[in-house]
Amino acid sequence: MIWRSVDLRRTALRTLLQLQLNMAASTFCPVLLPLSRINCKLNGIYTLISLNKTAAYSTGLSVKKTGAKTGLPQRGGKELRRQIKQVLQPRTERMAVDQDWTAVYPTAASFKADAVPLPVRMGYPVKKGVPPSKKGNLELLKIPNFLHLTPNAIKKQCEALKPFCTEWPAALDSDEKCEKHFPIQVQKKDYVFAGPSLRHPDARIVTLTVKLSSLNLDDHARKKMIKLSGERYNKDTDTLTITADSCPLKQQNHDYAMYMLTVLYHESWKIEAWEKEKTRADMEEYVWEDSPSQKNILETLLRIRPLSEQQEEGEVREELLGREEVQEYKDSVTKLKNEGETEGNMQQYKEAVKKLLSI
Amino acid sequence: MASSCVHVGRQIHKTGRIFQRGARDILQRRYVGLGSAACQQSAAEVSGSAEEIVIPRKKTWNKETVLQALAATVNRDPTASNYVLQDDSYLIPNSYAQFKLFTLSKESGRNTAKYFINTYPKYFQKDFAEPHIPCLMPETLELEIEEVSEAALIERIQLRKVKAAVDMYDQLQQSGTPLSVDLTNDLLDLICLYGDQDPAPEQGSDYMGEDQEDVKKKEGIPQRDSGISRWRENNNAERIFHIMPERTRRSYGALIRGMVKYGAYSKAFDMYTDMLNNRLTADVHIFNALITAAPEVREQIQEKWELVLNLLKQMAKQDVKPNLLTFHAVLRCLRRSRHLAKVFSVFNEMKALGIAPSLATYNLILGIVYKQASFAKGHTEILEKVLDEISGKSFTPQDPDDVKFFINAMRICQEAKDIELAYKLHSVVGVGENWKLLGESYFQNIYYWRFFSLLCMMENIDVVLKWYKELIPSLYYPTAQGMRDFLQALDTDNRLDLIPQIWKDIKQMGYGNMSDMVEEILSLMAREKQSPEVQQAFADCALDIKGLYMTQSGPLTWSGISLRCITSILLAAERTQQAWEMLNLFKPNNRVPPESLMNDFLASIKASNKAQQAVELVQISASFCLPVTPSLIERVQQEFELTEEQRNVLTDLESSADMSD
Repeated sequence: MIWRSVDLRRTALRTLLQLQLNMAASTFCPVLLPLSRINCKLNGIYTLISLNKTAAYSTGLSVKKTGAKTGLPQRGGKELRRQIKQVLQPRTERMAVDQDWTAVYPTAASFKADAVPLPVRMGYPVKKGVPPSKKGNLELLKIPNFLHLTPNAIKKQCEALKPFCTEWPAALDSDEKCEKHFPIQVQKKDYVFAGPSLRHPDARIVTLTVKLSSLNLDDHARKKMIKLSGERYNKDTDTLTITADSCPLKQQNHDYAMYMLTVLYHESWKIEAWEKEKTRADMEEYVWEDSPSQKNILETLLRIRPLSEQQEEGEVREELLGREEVQEYKDSVTKLKNEGETEGNMQQYKEAVKKLLSI
Repeated sequence: MASSCVHVGRQIHKTGRIFQRGARDILQRRYVGLGSAACQQSAAEVSGSAEEIVIPRKKTWNKETVLQALAATVNRDPTASNYVLQDDSYLIPNSYAQFKLFTLSKESGRNTAKYFINTYPKYFQKDFAEPHIPCLMPETLELEIEEVSEAALIERIQLRKVKAAVDMYDQLQQSGTPLSVDLTNDLLDLICLYGDQDPAPEQGSDYMGEDQEDVKKKEGIPQRDSGISRWRENNNAERIFHIMPERTRRSYGALIRGMVKYGAYSKAFDMYTDMLNNRLTADVHIFNALITAAPEVREQIQEKWELVLNLLKQMAKQDVKPNLLTFHAVLRCLRRSRHLAKVFSVFNEMKALGIAPSLATYNLILGIVYKQASFAKGHTEILEKVLDEISGKSFTPQDPDDVKFFINAMRICQEAKDIELAYKLHSVVGVGENWKLLGESYFQNIYYWRFFSLLCMMENIDVVLKWYKELIPSLYYPTAQGMRDFLQALDTDNRLDLIPQIWKDIKQMGYGNMSDMVEEILSLMAREKQSPEVQQAFADCALDIKGLYMTQSGPLTWSGISLRCITSILLAAERTQQAWEMLNLFKPNNRVPPESLMNDFLASIKASNKAQQAVELVQISASFCLPVTPSLIERVQQEFELTEEQRNVLTDLESSADMSD
């Protein structure tokens, strides 16, 4: 609460009033009271004294009370004057248009409305209003801002970090060569963090990516590896991604990821005894041999051309399977099953069936 | 989002070699892929490839180098205040007093926290900081070892408890325990350093600055009052010294330096002769102390110099190499002498010995050469030479007088009115770590005040404005006089249109309550009629000032100048209604409007052709009994179309004016 004590002409009146003021102070309650005026008459002169009680956080044009020579609040004494901080203009009005922005926001900091010279608005416009302005806007404070990462700032920082980097080997001038010579890629992140501790918890995470085509795997090993990695394998790009974050240190996680890769590789080459029991349901892709489709087509063809006594069933089988139409049919069915139903696939199937049944 | 700890550092001087290769390198070839045995294929390919892939050796660097490199990309923001303060509009100080208050309160908060941590250490045992920060953990300031033993004495010496240490020593002596010479020497060092009194409880550096502000003005004279006591007779140091079975050079050194520090100069010399009689040689610290004490034990300047020379000769004889502080002590001796040749010979000898001069050396030289203010006016060659020598070099603090160099040099530039030298000096401040040697905030403010007033005096307004934006108020909180100088510079270069903006700044700095400042601004604005936009801006500013005057409880009271100026500004901006209100304020405040104002009013009323207002104007003028009233009446009668009653009123007034004549 702020007082304004009036400079009075008569000292007697002054001391009298001060007694009153002090008494009022002791019984003061921190509630906004309306303007109250006390009219006194002393020796025929009407003196208007107003006791102003206003809230503490008044901005704008409130006048500073104490003498400017000592800006310190004067405690005690006869006149209790509190100082209202005069904030006329935020910093933004003093900023030049061509200033160095990287000096204003050098590091990640929360949004400061008085330091950002942009008329930003954010928030839900209530009752056909507009989104609230930036002053005191909590929404702007909550979200992460990238004011410290302007292109200029990034350029400057990259320039500063260049001396820490070594040269890129001249021989590796294309992506394929990099793939060829360095198939395993390890990603690690470093953080500049300031808190009670300097260590950022995410700095321990290590991600290892490798393309399975660059590994020495045969068909079985490849399928087994894909089965073992599960979620970590991306079929579209043929990459295996191993993320290690269970150890507290980056080096430990790196070692663990490499160990994982090694183990996966060796395990996928091994053939366990129980792998023989792989059923048709476990197969990753559709195989036409020994499938109901093959049986059906053979039966159908046999029915069309009944068996003669000379020929044996096994030979007929072989001969039938070797026929071109049957091969085509096999291709089309395999495609349908593996790749799903598309226009082209269905057309192909239709053609193959027509040819086979000589329609 | 990483939590912010915004540190806007100054430009860090980039050292050439950031990296250390060679000896500290652990040979680590950066294998991006070729680690595991699984990639046999890739390994084969590397060896078989046509071009050889050369993987460069990994660089290693210091722990902080990356941060320093990134910090070097950041410059100073001229609109922000000091980085220790909170960056909020309500928490940025506007004046030096506020700045001091805020920084001191921060310091006091820190001290309070430190007090609590040290008083209740059991609540502050958990260590969050990684890596460990030892200065944030609780310190043991209380004595733990109570029994009479050497360890107890060592503990007391370490905790700087002088009286307790002396008591423990006496108890040990009584119990007959033999003590090593080193321990006794440590105790003597402690007693002599603190003058046989317990040191005052630890306070922040700023607190000391507050007490010794007036001390700063006496530059460099050893302070005998204000906190430093005298060397007492028969104090513990001497007593223990005499009891000691064997005295080494270190013991003598402790006593001599203690005596010099606390003002017992002749005793120090006696102790020195005693030492020589015991066939011990002194070391450089003893000689430094003696040279500092030399001017105090002799009366004539010549004798003082002879004594100093004597000491130096003895130093050479005893084969003791002088150091930087020796030369500083010698230069301080020469402070009152008039022979500049001696000063330069000392300086040359210092260079010949290969001791790099610090800023305090240059400060002492400048202090001796430019002792009188008038000397500076023509003879800035020495300062130029000094600046040439120190340009481009980064200095570290080596002597407490280092911080006085910049303000003295700027004072000389100011007295010599040499702006080029000032620019050179300011560029020295920007080199490397030299900004730290500007001293604490008080010295900084003085430096920038001198710099800015020189700029206002010498440079044209664009340069001044550029520096104004750069320095104020982030680095320098101008005094009222500084702002007046600035206004004068604006006036000289005819840039009065900037006054409304400057008025806002002045209000923010807290000088809006000073009546002479306000009156000066008003008179500058009211002096001549400006172009329309500028005039409107002036009118707004004048209304703002009027608002300040109108607040009943404000310290500003109406004066003749303020009323007149505001009215004329409003008139010139053609805000007749508000000017009319101003005119009505003259009477309650017992001021008389000047004639020119009345004439201006009449002219503006004529432009709007309101006869009633003209009559009212004449009535007002008559009420003040202005001598211009008759001419006004005449003009109104001639130039305006008046109704009958208006004419009557005028004739009444005329007659009353005639009658009063």
